[in-house]
Formats: sequence, structure tokens, C-alpha cells
Amino acid sequence: MSPAVTVRDLTKRYSYSRPRKGLAGAFAPERVTIEAVSAVSFEIEAGERVAIIGPNGAGKSTTLKMLCGILEPTAGEAQVLGFVPWRERKALAYRIGVVFGQRSQLWGELPARESFALLRQVYDQPKDAFARRLGELSERFALADIMDQPVHRLSLGQRMRCEITASLLHGPRLLFLDEPTIGLDVTAKAAIRDFIREHARDHGQTVLLTSHDTRDIELVCDRVIVVDEGRIVVDQPTDQLRRSFLARKLVVLQSQAPSLSIEMPGVAARPSAPHTTVLEVDTRTARVDQVIARALALGGIEDITIEDPPMEEVVHEIYAAHRR
Amino acid sequence: MRSTPPTVAERAMLAAAVQAFRLGAAQTLTGWPVLAGRCFFYVLLMIVLSGLWDKVAAEQVAGLARSAPVSAFVLYVGATEWITLSLPAVHLKFEDDIRGGALETHLLRPKPYLLQAISQSCGSAFVRMLALGATGLTLLAVSGRAWPSPEAFVFIAVLGVFGTVVGVLLYALAGLGAFWARRTLPFQLIVQKLMFVLGGLFAPISLYPPILRGIGEGSPFAAHLYWAGIQAIRPSVPLFLAGLAWQALWLVLLAAACAALWRAGVRKVLREGAA
Repeated sequence: MSPAVTVRDLTKRYSYSRPRKGLAGAFAPERVTIEAVSAVSFEIEAGERVAIIGPNGAGKSTTLKMLCGILEPTAGEAQVLGFVPWRERKALAYRIGVVFGQRSQLWGELPARESFALLRQVYDQPKDAFARRLGELSERFALADIMDQPVHRLSLGQRMRCEITASLLHGPRLLFLDEPTIGLDVTAKAAIRDFIREHARDHGQTVLLTSHDTRDIELVCDRVIVVDEGRIVVDQPTDQLRRSFLARKLVVLQSQAPSLSIEMPGVAARPSAPHTTVLEVDTRTARVDQVIARALALGGIEDITIEDPPMEEVVHEIYAAHRR
Repeated sequence: MRSTPPTVAERAMLAAAVQAFRLGAAQTLTGWPVLAGRCFFYVLLMIVLSGLWDKVAAEQVAGLARSAPVSAFVLYVGATEWITLSLPAVHLKFEDDIRGGALETHLLRPKPYLLQAISQSCGSAFVRMLALGATGLTLLAVSGRAWPSPEAFVFIAVLGVFGTVVGVLLYALAGLGAFWARRTLPFQLIVQKLMFVLGGLFAPISLYPPILRGIGEGSPFAAHLYWAGIQAIRPSVPLFLAGLAWQALWLVLLAAACAALWRAGVRKVLREGAA
């Protein structure tokens, strides 16, 4: 069986003009070229769920856009489901679903049902097959109560459920997700992750996801490609990456006391402002609930938050480890 | 001229365009308070403009009465304002989508965004035409003015619908400028002023000196407004057919210009990324 996605030395450079100093410089601007993606190569098998992660400006979205066909590379080759995306964009469009977390594909003033009806025509879907698929997605995503409300009145979580439904109505074999959980609360994020994972598993769908949230990667994907400055730094199974780099949590405590001292194996304090204590917990050694219990026992705790380390930090660590 | 029946792909494209038209109509109906406000504005505008033209009629402006009964100019302005106020801001939709990045979402679909967006705007314009048309007729009945002949209504309606599509395409051209410019307002202002001057928004271009009149009649701006409006003053089959011919010509030319700009713009986006 041929891979769902094949990428060979894919490169994208952007050029722009930057004014030089002085009056003469305004008329002769300097031409600057930026390499957003540098000779990236990878393959994704059909049915695989792969995350591309990296800090802002790493080239994740640029890679995704090239694979969707809405951006031409400067050099290199790619095939997605047997199509060269930027040359066969429309033929490929029938076979892929795309969700941009920060952009809506629905019409805000109208109920989602109206957008779905237009998408049926856009993707030439037979009425019966479309109704069946919409019924399944509506049941799985509990859309019955929200499908007839104007989209702009929906919560972000409800809207995202409708966005993902819209991207699946034509039965795509490959789903591209760009930051699908951005801005969502914990419950909504969990619902979206569960759905993507189960839907892909049940339908043998290939998923390519980019995210800043390490939980998206851990809970949805079985393989991770880490990119930084346009290059692939790591390409390995999620389990392996989790053991090495995704085992840390940050527990942030707001307290009446200027600082708290908690000494436990696997727990390290990070520099922080007065009345704030940031503890880095290695979950392979210490449990987060035990750390919180110890903090509460000290008294005077006003607020507690649990966070993942920023993606920039995780990538930096991965990068450093692989250079060693 | 092709005589073969449409292919499956063409039928599918048409079905998607029809659905987009319905979506545009539904969007405008959903925003009915805005539509009602637009109708109210139409009434205010017509009260002011009919007052102006009535004064012109009362003062027997030299030469004007020779061209038509001056009271008919009120109906002319009623028709041109009906078309103008029915136009949706399609240029702003293009600007938002192209500059805001939503275009990428549309490019991911197998049907052409340009056709979808124009169909959607036409759907929106259609609902506005119905609401404003009903408002205009009510106002005419209440004003006690003489009604034009029944065929004049038919001519105005047909030329008005095509004129509105010409207007949508003119604004679409202005909007497609967003591929190259951050704001489309300058393009839209140029189109709007030319609609005013060469389209004969407030006064028919038949009143212009011969050279200007010739230029005006052959322009897309007259195809947008004048040819429908003049039927309120001098309804006639030859004028109707002349208007229809000019509109057909400009619909083809403007559609081709939009398609060319669109193709060039998409090539730029595919090469350089969304704005």
C-alpha cells in the first residue's frame, strides 16, 4: 500500500522588500529571503495520526498549507493521496478535510445547518449519503440542539464541533487539523480530541495535526514530527517522545506567603514573582496530586493551576538533546 | 456558440452556485432589521430627491422639459436608487476574505470561490431588490403621482436585475484589488463616483452634451443604472433592447475581467501565501 503522504525535500522561501535607511534607501529597498521550510522529507502511512509540532514560525502551518495545495513550494516534491497538491488542488479537495482552528468555514449569521447544505453542493454529495453522514456526526458530536442556531451565537467549543463536522461531511480520507483546540476550555478540548481519535480509528482516516498543546499530540497522535526553523528535528512515535520530553508539568501556586518551599523528588522550583511559586514536576518521579496535597498542607494557597511547559521549551529541549 | 448540454461538472457547479445564491438571500433575510433600515433610508432619499425634481419642474428649467415630463425624473431616480441600494458590499467581502486569510479556506474547496461569492452577493441583492421594490411601489402609491405604463415596470424590472448584476461585478472588480492593495476603499470610491457621473444616478445621462452622453451610454456604469432608469421616463422596446444589449456586453466583459483578476490573484496567493 502506498503512503498517504510522501514529502521529499520540500522547501518554501518567502521574499519581501525591506526599506533601507535614508531617502535613497526608500527607493531601493533591500530584498530579504526567508526560508520557512527547508528540505523537509517524510512519509505518512494511510491511517496514521501524525502531529507536526514546533514553536511559532517553525514552518508547521507552511508545510500543512503546501500539503493542502494552497501554497506552492519553492523546491521539492510532495504527493498527497496520489495527487501533487498544488497542481491538483481541486481534485484533492474532494478527498481531504481541513480545519484551521483560528478560521471559520461556516457562515456566522446563519445556522450551521445552512452551511452544511451549501457544503453538500460544493462537494457534490448525494443527498442520502450526506444525510446519513450528517446524522452520524450530529449524534457523535451532540449537534442536534445547536445546528439550528446562528453560528455566531455558539460557544467556541460548539463552533469547533460544527467546524470539524463541516470538514468531515464529504467523507475525506485525510484530515488536516491546524491548531484544532486553540482557545478551547479543558472540557471542549477533551471532547474534540476524543472525537478526532475515535473517528480516525473507526474510519481508518489519516490525520495530520499541528498544535501548540502537547496534550493534543499525546492524546490524538501516534507519531510526532518536531520542526524548528523549517527543519525536522525529530520524527518518532509519541510514546517515545512522551517518555523523554512530555513527562513534565508546571504547577503554579498563588499564595499569601511570598514563596513556598516544597522539597520532593522530581519537583524543582522555577524562578518566579513574589507570592507565586512555579514547580516543575517530573511525572515519572512525582505525582501532581501529591505535589498539590503537599502545597495545600502548607496553608495560605489562593490559587492553583497546572500547565504543560510551553511548546517552545519542549522543542528547545528536544533540539538540545538531539544535538548532544 | 456551444450547443452541447452541460456536463456533470458544470451542472454541479451551477447547483453549488444556486445554493450560494440561496445562502446569500437567507443571510440578508436573517438581517431583516438592516434590510428594514435600508428601506427606510430609501423612503427618506426619495422624499428629498422628489422634492428637488418637483422644484426643478415648477421652475421650468430651460431645455429640461423638452426631453421628458420633469415629473418622470422622480421615477427615474426611484429606479436608479432602487438598484444602487440593492447592491451588497461585495468588495468588502473580498477584502475581508483575501486580507483576513479566509480565502485559504475557500481555496480548499473544489468549487470556484469567485462564482460562489458572486452568486451569494446576487442572492443578497435579490432579496434587497424585492424589499426595496415593494417599498418604492408603496411610496409611489402613497405619493399620488402618475404611474408609469405596465410595460415600463417590466422593462425596469428586467434591466434593473441585470443592472444590479453589472453593479455586483463592478464592485467585485474593486474588491479583487485586495490581492494587491491593503484596502479596496480607493477602488470602490472610483467605481462609486463613476456610477454617479457616467451611470446617471441622480439625472439621466441623456441630459449630457452629445459626446459625454455617448461615452456614458457605452460605459458599464450606464449598464448598471441608466438603461433601467430611462425606462421610467421613456419606456420603449428599442431602448429596452439597446439597454439589454449593452448589459449583456458588459456582463461578459466584466465577468471576464473578474475571472482574469481572480486567476492572477490566486496565482499570487499560491506563490506568496495569503496576505
